[in-house]
Amino acid sequence: MKRSLPAPLPTPFDRWRASAGFSVAVAALGFFILGSIFFLMVGQPPLATFAAMIKGAFGDGYSLSETLVKVSPILLCATAASLPARLGLISVGGEGQFYLGAMVGTGVVLAFPGAPAWALMPGMFLAAGLGGASWALIPGMLKARLNVNETITTLLLNYVASLLVDFLVYGPWKDPHNLGWPATVSFPAAAKLPGFFGTRAHLGIVIGVAASLLLHLLTARTRWGMSLRLLRSNRKVAEGIGLSFGKQALLVVCMGGMLAGIAGICETSAIQGRLQSGISNGMGFTGFLAAWMAGQDFLRILPLSLLLGGLLASADSLQMIAGLPSSASLVLQGLLFACVLAAGRLRKGKA
Amino acid sequence: MMSGFDAAAGNFLVSALRSSTPLLWVLLGEILTQRVAIVNLGVEGQMLVGALSGFAATLATGNPWLGLAAGVAAGMLLSTVHAGLTVGLKANPFASGLAVWMLGFGLSAFYGVPMVGQKITGFAPLPLGFLSGVPVLGPLSSQLTPTVVLAMLASPLAGWWLYRTKTGLAWRAVGESLVSARTLGLKTSLVQVLGILAGGAFSGFGGAALSVDYTRNWVEGMTAGRGLVAVGLVIVARWNPYLAVPAALLFGGAEALTLRMQTSGVPISSHLLHTLPYLASLAVLVISSRSANKEGGMPAGLSAVFSQSR
Amino acid sequence: MALRAALNRLKRSTFLAALALGAAAAGAADVKVGYIYVGPKSDYGYNYAMDQGRMWVEKNVPGVKTMSFENVPENAEVERVMERMIKSGCTIIFPTSYGYLDPALNVAKKYPKVIFEHAGGFKTAPNLGTFFAGIDDAMYLAGMTAGGMTKTHKLGFLAAHPIPQVLRNINAFTRGAQAVDPLATTTVIWTGTWSDPGKEAEAANSLVDAGADVLTGHVDSPITYTQAAEKRGVMVVGYHADASKFAPKGWLVGAAWNWGPMMGRIIKSVGDGTWKPEHIRGDLKAGDAELTAFGPSVPQKVKDMVLAKEKEFKAGATQLWSGPIVKQDGAEAAPKGGMLAMASLESMDFLVKGVVGTVK
Repeated sequence: MKRSLPAPLPTPFDRWRASAGFSVAVAALGFFILGSIFFLMVGQPPLATFAAMIKGAFGDGYSLSETLVKVSPILLCATAASLPARLGLISVGGEGQFYLGAMVGTGVVLAFPGAPAWALMPGMFLAAGLGGASWALIPGMLKARLNVNETITTLLLNYVASLLVDFLVYGPWKDPHNLGWPATVSFPAAAKLPGFFGTRAHLGIVIGVAASLLLHLLTARTRWGMSLRLLRSNRKVAEGIGLSFGKQALLVVCMGGMLAGIAGICETSAIQGRLQSGISNGMGFTGFLAAWMAGQDFLRILPLSLLLGGLLASADSLQMIAGLPSSASLVLQGLLFACVLAAGRLRKGKA
Repeated sequence: MMSGFDAAAGNFLVSALRSSTPLLWVLLGEILTQRVAIVNLGVEGQMLVGALSGFAATLATGNPWLGLAAGVAAGMLLSTVHAGLTVGLKANPFASGLAVWMLGFGLSAFYGVPMVGQKITGFAPLPLGFLSGVPVLGPLSSQLTPTVVLAMLASPLAGWWLYRTKTGLAWRAVGESLVSARTLGLKTSLVQVLGILAGGAFSGFGGAALSVDYTRNWVEGMTAGRGLVAVGLVIVARWNPYLAVPAALLFGGAEALTLRMQTSGVPISSHLLHTLPYLASLAVLVISSRSANKEGGMPAGLSAVFSQSR
Repeated sequence: MALRAALNRLKRSTFLAALALGAAAAGAADVKVGYIYVGPKSDYGYNYAMDQGRMWVEKNVPGVKTMSFENVPENAEVERVMERMIKSGCTIIFPTSYGYLDPALNVAKKYPKVIFEHAGGFKTAPNLGTFFAGIDDAMYLAGMTAGGMTKTHKLGFLAAHPIPQVLRNINAFTRGAQAVDPLATTTVIWTGTWSDPGKEAEAANSLVDAGADVLTGHVDSPITYTQAAEKRGVMVVGYHADASKFAPKGWLVGAAWNWGPMMGRIIKSVGDGTWKPEHIRGDLKAGDAELTAFGPSVPQKVKDMVLAKEKEFKAGATQLWSGPIVKQDGAEAAPKGGMLAMASLESMDFLVKGVVGTVK
């Protein structure tokens, strides 16, 4: 399937049908219809409820900042899934890499509590990146050397990573002065990533956007990006001209792991202020979803992460205003994803 | 009760079997689905709607068999979403699976609210009294329930069906190569849809087994990731239904072991102990990858799914 | 005729208008109270008990409107939820899960006019106090019942996470059992999660396999292990709520919460200006925790013994945490004649001798 310009299409409708606007419109319409049916079934007025959700996500400065708080890890984990996908690798390891990054970054903070910010902050980030990358290295090596399926290894390792963090915060790293609550000591000011304008939105969003743009440029415009495409579309030919699948696989997986690890330490430092159990809140999977809905396109993951972040942040409105249980939000998320997926396919036709 | 090695071994075996049964059902289903070159990460959601429907039906009718049937129906119903998206619209199967997972989790949690705290009568233990004197198998006589026994039967049955019947062959052909299967006149889309529905049926059954038989309880999200683990175990089982029982037992056995270690007072952190099942599965995965060729028996059509991104 | 109809219409509309005005006035004066739960309020356990408290407040405390959020994890997520509640008008917030303490302190700093009442914590701020009920007494009594009924001297305890509240319950239960049966031991299995019925069922079975003939637990919902115990023909002691219907034969007794009245008192104190940022600890005496009814298999002798002790607790004649208290490794946590201070209770990090299991 060539990606060059299609042959001239006969009607304006056909032209629109092939455009991005079409899939957005169809997805939005489908989501609106299905969502309304759900709301009606549970006794809520559809329009008012949707309005409340939008307001809860983007309606005011506070809501917008809270949406951005969610977007930040989603975006970073989405890049962590998109990059390996360039090589055809399907990694769901964002969760585990998130935890490892948080863990190793925290380790540095715990080891050097008195260090000044100019040393501690970058050190923390570096450590987190290395932590996430190293957790990605394991499935990467297994894939590169032994051709072990990376989807499954990353999946299993997610659980292990989460349990390792639990072990540390319930055991050796537990703050001895916090009434036995399983968490580390609070991060010193020098290690706390600040928020913007008094909100909780933090540097992570900037890193995420920068990473997306940078990776877009790297994969679309450089020789390296070309070699990735070649390795994926025709491995034999690519290896014939000297490209190494194994090396590139390790590279992309580790880069992705690094980004997810940074998401982990951002969340730990900026939002939680310390390491404890369960801080990922499933962001690894949400990021994976964003990546795949965007077709692993580094530009498209930006609006899609924003949408997902907004949807998650708007869950509050559903509980507060509509009195719906939290599961209602999950149903809506599922409906949205199904609609986006379907719309994306309807756009391209049955090609 | 702990009267010697026999009793301990028997109890351990039963514990491992019980732990593994819901997992085993989902595993069988996903093996069949992946055999037609479809991956369904949504089995977790299918398990959950199956669990809820099974519980609700058993509550309403007082008949746990109807509960199991309801679970099957619910799982199949949810799987049609995946079928529609992946086969009908050719959407990305991983993303579609996750969407199905969310829908299943959300819908079951939402409609399950009135079910919490309700009491159902599950299955009576099977009349295996004649086994009580047998060494090692003794505890089985009082603690096995129908879903466990059915799982032990379903696995070789599915294996026989896959490898010995014409339709099983057709499914395997579709899984190897859609194009070749089509040239043979096989209706590949139909087969794929059936494969997804079969997965839905089995995972719905597994969920119902969990709520109606194993725990006799409904709690939102009660499958706790078992569905996803099952997807991972498909590879350990080499897409072979005959190997489903050992693969599930590997995981269930490791879980039973961690519990045993805790009751014996082993001074290892429970969190580290809980990593055992995953590490064991990982180890088996790596070992089997080294010895097998062609990615350990993966249907060729499936490798295309795994290496293609959309 | 037409005039009469018109007059009636006018009367009705005036009446309705007055009603509306009255309602609006009442609404304007209504205090908005927010509740936050870590799990689903339909869990038949901890969150259910808290929500029952909320419903009691709605019914029995005039001029109060409540709202609730469920399934909020014990991390910074809850800060956002609290802020949302405050922005929508809540002036009193009940963060009902232990792990909400530090996030609540953060938010309390930002909104000094809002009152926070945290469940189970042990830190305060000018506008944050804590409340809890010493269910330990009830667990001790339940332990006594178990001790009086066990034939194998082995008790089983299913627990989610080794946090102080859970450790206290395990220790209280064990001490109660040991007071009646000095040979009694408690084996603990950590499930690692507040809610996973599959794991709970398996853990319950493992405990029975290891010889326990009385089970109890501290997970979100008592239903699974209660049913598992009944199925294996062993006895069970409940926690959080009365789950006796799930084990008609094996149910011994349970320890349950009764939050409503305490929450009502707190809200009233805010209303009449007497609220203080203190640690409110209800107990068996005050009725905030209670022992449920005994099951059919408990003989009168055991009942009398336990109820007599309950009287002692209620009269303040006996203190549960009085020494000697010996840890698993033999070290003394409190000497004979001494007592564990509230601070060490709130941060308990050990298990008493006679408990089989790790603390981490």
